[in-house]
Amino acid sequence: MRHPIVVPDLGATGGDVRIVSWAVKEGQTVKEDETLFTVETDKAVTEIPAFRAGVLMLISAAAGQSCAPGAVVAYLADEAEAVAGRPPATPSARKPHIRLRAEASSSESLGPTVERLVQAFSTMTLIRRYEEHLYRLFLQGLVPGTLHQCQGQEAVAVGVCAALRVDDLIYSTHRPVGHLIAKGASLDAITAEIWGKATGCVGGKGGQMHLADFSVGAMVSNAIVGANIPIAAGSALAFRMLGLDHVAVSFFGDGASNIGAFHEGLNLAAVKRAPAIFVCENNLYAASTHISQATNIRDIADRAAAYGMPGVVVDGMDVEAVHAAAEEAVARARHGYGPTLIECKTYRYRGHSRGDPGGYRHAEEHQAWLERDPIERTRTKLIERFGAESARLAGIERRAQQRVEAAVAFALASPDPEPLDALTNVFVE
Amino acid sequence: MNANIEQLTTRPMGMAEALRDAMRIALKSDPRVFLIGEDIGVKGGFGGGFTVTLGLSDEFDPERVVDTPISEGAIVGVAIGAAMVGMRPVAEMQYGDFVFCAMDQVVNQAAKMRYMSNGQVRVPMVLRLPVGASQRGAQHGQSTEALFMHTPGLKVVCPSTPRDAKGMLLAAIRDDNPVVFLEHKLLYGGKGSRKESAPISFGVDVPEGDYTVPLGPAAIRRPGSDVTLLANMLMVHRAHSAAERLATSGIDVEVIDMRSLTPLDMETVVVSLAKTGRLLVVEEDNLTCGWGAEVLARVAESHHHLLKRPMRRVAGPDTPLPCAAVLERAYVPDVEKIAAAVRGLLE
Repeated sequence: MRHPIVVPDLGATGGDVRIVSWAVKEGQTVKEDETLFTVETDKAVTEIPAFRAGVLMLISAAAGQSCAPGAVVAYLADEAEAVAGRPPATPSARKPHIRLRAEASSSESLGPTVERLVQAFSTMTLIRRYEEHLYRLFLQGLVPGTLHQCQGQEAVAVGVCAALRVDDLIYSTHRPVGHLIAKGASLDAITAEIWGKATGCVGGKGGQMHLADFSVGAMVSNAIVGANIPIAAGSALAFRMLGLDHVAVSFFGDGASNIGAFHEGLNLAAVKRAPAIFVCENNLYAASTHISQATNIRDIADRAAAYGMPGVVVDGMDVEAVHAAAEEAVARARHGYGPTLIECKTYRYRGHSRGDPGGYRHAEEHQAWLERDPIERTRTKLIERFGAESARLAGIERRAQQRVEAAVAFALASPDPEPLDALTNVFVE
Repeated sequence: MNANIEQLTTRPMGMAEALRDAMRIALKSDPRVFLIGEDIGVKGGFGGGFTVTLGLSDEFDPERVVDTPISEGAIVGVAIGAAMVGMRPVAEMQYGDFVFCAMDQVVNQAAKMRYMSNGQVRVPMVLRLPVGASQRGAQHGQSTEALFMHTPGLKVVCPSTPRDAKGMLLAAIRDDNPVVFLEHKLLYGGKGSRKESAPISFGVDVPEGDYTVPLGPAAIRRPGSDVTLLANMLMVHRAHSAAERLATSGIDVEVIDMRSLTPLDMETVVVSLAKTGRLLVVEEDNLTCGWGAEVLARVAESHHHLLKRPMRRVAGPDTPLPCAAVLERAYVPDVEKIAAAVRGLLE
């Protein structure tokens, strides 16, 4: 087992804590109560002792950096785990670039932090505008085929994808638009795909549930619940075999955590230390079935313990929290420490698919989640805490709407595929 | 590689050894190739259920011969995910029957990824399935080729000789499509305490070194002029024995080895049928919707004018596979049944 070392909230104020120094190096064995590192708050300098004996692993916050209370800065591992958990002897040719989460909290980088948050606001807004625009068109009977929408879940897609490089892969689901947009997929191509056009990202063969943009690492999204979990594990393992430091992400819902592919995929990924990140978007409902009727535990992240991998619960309505968890998981994966299960508590505002009015949900529940809306929270934070101008954010929203409408116009103006295209690309000839 | 296949020296091998040889060559010649399956990557282990990978886990790194938990779905899923980013995995089901645990990955994922991506990804993987009745009962002995033949996007091949097994496995590994590769357990050849095996009448002289046998063309195992007899895997050898027996009565049977089912070599079948006018299909799988049914349908649609007699099939009955020797013998087509069906076509 690996046990996370977190930064204690020493001042009980929630204010940042600065790491002054580490008393122990990575790979060194410590006894219980031995000093691990020294921290400084605005009130005092304190030595943090080891809460148990073990081997120090994976320091993610160097001396001099500031962290929010609760941040995991390293791990204490059992001796055997530490040995088995060392990265492969032949490290990747390419040095991974990892931004430490602590950086986001340091006052020196306040500017970049705000800009990152503005970027997150912008991408979440684009997703929301896109989904809402399509929903209105659907109500008018103007959207062909099926529709599975992700309003409310934007922070998960954006928080995770912001922690990825373009050459990292994502495997999405039947509800793919948020993930695809967050990974940088072509809005025109995915829209044309939904409209079944020749210019669609997969030429009309996929439809709304099978969106892709291989140029940005968005693999074909998968409409069999849970099926992308072992596939992502396979890509991740292949990256390691190829000596690359890329990671693979599987997105899936709470419902998928009950299918066999989840168990097989997470277990195999864990025993092989695949550089994969498993992101469970727990939106409380598997189609119409509430999680309490399908799962006898509160947190799906608890299941990670059964596979010997870290399981993290994160507020899926808080893009910064998702991002921090994803960055940590990505860092672990790139360093050869294997996969992580991240459970994001979130909510989808619309029904499971088109024509589902969501009559199985209570209005109070819906309202409570709306009040935690990830986009509005980000807006408030940007304005109230960072002094962003609301006019700037309004401009972002206006441009998002224009981009959405332009994408739909592109789709509508695009030609249909040739009928006989139905017969192509079954095999590599 | 194929150009000088006839110049390669040969050595008698069983099918297990031939397949092992193919995988060794593939692992050595291409760093993208890796094997994945249950009980295949244990140092000093027994090389999968049928010794096919015996010793490879000692010769190669554990990342090349990947041992897995009992997770058929994840074995295939991992192979797909790896193949899509450029690897060439060879996945093994310990028994072909276990592939049903992985059917979503095979049918919904591997077979469809190229199509669903509109040709933007390829899934160059091999899925090896040991099949065939061998007194293990209903869940360790069925033949499953027809199910995969029904699924667009999969190549389905089923060699009957060690020579083909090696060359076709190398071809399958180098193919850019997912290939379901069926191996009949009774053709693996005896190894150690394993006594079960069927006599292989031809194709045991296996070329040393690297060569491929293309996926697609059928092979005429015995030319003949009276009856066209199609068979695959173990049934090829039984059909061949029946043909040799019938030859003593002056009946001249052409035996064609349908070693590839997708693609299906109808041309070889039709050329033979033009000569004989009589068609018999022998398969170990259940009768209904088997590959023989597809062949008969295509002949009936487009080549019925060649037929002198109604076509016949000899196949397993539409029951699960029984275990006891006497029951299994009643189930699996044997030389007597095949010979009788040929005589029936000539009456």
